[in-house]
Amino acid sequence: MTDNNDLMIEASDLRRVFKSSEAVKGISLSVRRSEIFGLLGPNGAGKTTTIRMLTGQIEPSSGHATVAGCDVVRDHQRLKERIGVVPEEQNLYERLSARNNLRFNCWLYNLPESRVDEVLDLVHLRDRAKDPVRTFSNGMKQRLLIARALLHKPPMLFLDEPSRGLDPIAAHEVRATIEQMSRDGVTIMLTTHLLEEADQLCQRIAFINQGSILANDTPRNLKFAHGQRTLRVTRCGQENGSQSEITLSMDTPADQARLAQLLAQGDVQAIHSQEATLEEVFIEIAGVRPA
Amino acid sequence: MHLRTILAIARKDAIDILLNRSMLTVLILPILFAVLFLFMGNLFSGHTTNILVYNPGQSAIVRVVSGAFDPVHITEANAPADVTAAFGPNGSRKDAAYDIGLIVPADFEHALQAGSHPQVDLYLNDNNVTAQNSTLIQTTIINYSRQVASPQLPVALSTAIINPSSTTHLEDLISTFYGTITLMASLMVGFSLMPGLLIEEKEKKTLRMLMVTPASFTDVILGKLLVVLGYQLLLSLVALNIVNGFTGQIPLVLLYVLLGSCLSLAIGLLLGGAFQTSSAAGGIGGMLSFIYTIPAIFSGPVGALFSNSPIIQLMKIFPTYYIADGVYKAMQNRGTLNDQLLDLGVLVGSILILLALTTWILRRQSSIVASI
Repeated sequence: MTDNNDLMIEASDLRRVFKSSEAVKGISLSVRRSEIFGLLGPNGAGKTTTIRMLTGQIEPSSGHATVAGCDVVRDHQRLKERIGVVPEEQNLYERLSARNNLRFNCWLYNLPESRVDEVLDLVHLRDRAKDPVRTFSNGMKQRLLIARALLHKPPMLFLDEPSRGLDPIAAHEVRATIEQMSRDGVTIMLTTHLLEEADQLCQRIAFINQGSILANDTPRNLKFAHGQRTLRVTRCGQENGSQSEITLSMDTPADQARLAQLLAQGDVQAIHSQEATLEEVFIEIAGVRPA
Repeated sequence: MHLRTILAIARKDAIDILLNRSMLTVLILPILFAVLFLFMGNLFSGHTTNILVYNPGQSAIVRVVSGAFDPVHITEANAPADVTAAFGPNGSRKDAAYDIGLIVPADFEHALQAGSHPQVDLYLNDNNVTAQNSTLIQTTIINYSRQVASPQLPVALSTAIINPSSTTHLEDLISTFYGTITLMASLMVGFSLMPGLLIEEKEKKTLRMLMVTPASFTDVILGKLLVVLGYQLLLSLVALNIVNGFTGQIPLVLLYVLLGSCLSLAIGLLLGGAFQTSSAAGGIGGMLSFIYTIPAIFSGPVGALFSNSPIIQLMKIFPTYYIADGVYKAMQNRGTLNDQLLDLGVLVGSILILLALTTWILRRQSSIVASI
């Protein structure tokens, strides 16, 4: 049981209809305090529209949602003070320095400018504070976006594709920052097409496709419920001593019998259990690849 | 609508404009124009001003008055009668060899401080001294006297003008013409900066960021209007000052600066609202600069050559013609109530129509701003 006071997002039957299509078709979900919640799905699935409704950028056509205790339609102005948003695109003022980008947000939120150095330290950009943002790498810009979103200490953070276009090292740094924020008590909702990243970061995941949520659970439960459990068996050839590998399903009687046979023959050198990946789970649920 | 967020956006844009090369060029251009016209004006007025002075007490006022002219030649008179004779009693001599005559009492500064209202006699030859300079000399003498004595008028200034011209001096015409053109060039700042500021927020998707902060779309627009109006007014006033444009009916000139700035901002806002890309708005903005410069050209002495011709009638289609016409007449002290009412009326009407149109476009945009 989850106490309602512990919920940072509560959405019920959210719908959004654009001129020619229904982008979101009655989504219901809840996110607990300090949780990292992943919203995964292919392009055009309705992820960004859902985030825009939850951040008050667009109004739902019907349904109801509260975020950080604010109704997304009625408490729109208060909601803005309680959320931070890291958008999909790197929308920084490129000619301004990192410090001036953040100072601008301090002026908007009426914060002391000393807060700028605190968030720059958090994302390890203090030494580049005076440089124009146009001289930054994609990874640095992404970290600056996170710093900007955290400036007013929001309890709820929305991250739209936080690792998009980043090299592996920059993506790792961004993931480390997200994990740190979660440890600091910030609730995070993120969308990503990198299922491995979602698996690593998220405590719960919702798969969304064609405007509807198809599944919503922890990554482990999703894999158990929808993925195939397999074993990778390494065999040692009896005649020439060469090694070979075969993959067997733990859920099919034929493969179970085959495993027993191999064990009885005594030529099994090693057995590794293999969990289903989120990508395999998504393909099984949605019938399409995630992105 | 929040003052805090409006000021925050204005502050950010004020810095960003100075870091943007193309916008910085827009800011510098009116100053360059003004300097160019000042240089051209000096070429026209290469005449050496001859001043005949009777100044037995070596008062500093002569240095102050002569400082207003370049080049200048000062001749010292031996007696007040020499100056009077050179210009004739009450300035009646038409063939004076001097442009300015000045009789300063021997104990001028002491008399000022004693409050005995010493008399300074000033003679001006209107053939060579423009109306603008005539006003300047009289103001200089009065200001100097106030500095020496008290804010109360401590001097009795007697001015006689010989050869008063029935028509406006050519140098005056050219000077006010340059003033008008400079002002019109400086008024292009508003519609050049405003679309860029607004469209860049849409192109770079920073507007989407602003919409999840306490700022509203109205705050964004007002913040930008505030900063552009600030730059616009500052540059127009500096440019006018460089070309000595503060002359004639000065409050009226200032009113035209303010209304011209508002018109420019309204046009800029319309472009920024209507277009989604800088290149599209830039193309239209380039064409609009002609609407500012050409009516300005036809409002001055060139316009007098074509009065009642179809060209002038065509120019009257553009509201910018009425700024140029109004400023030109105000600078020459020729603005009649009817003329000025027409010019001001057309301007205010145009601004209101443009703002109504822009509000309609921006209202539509604010409803879809999240999807921009």
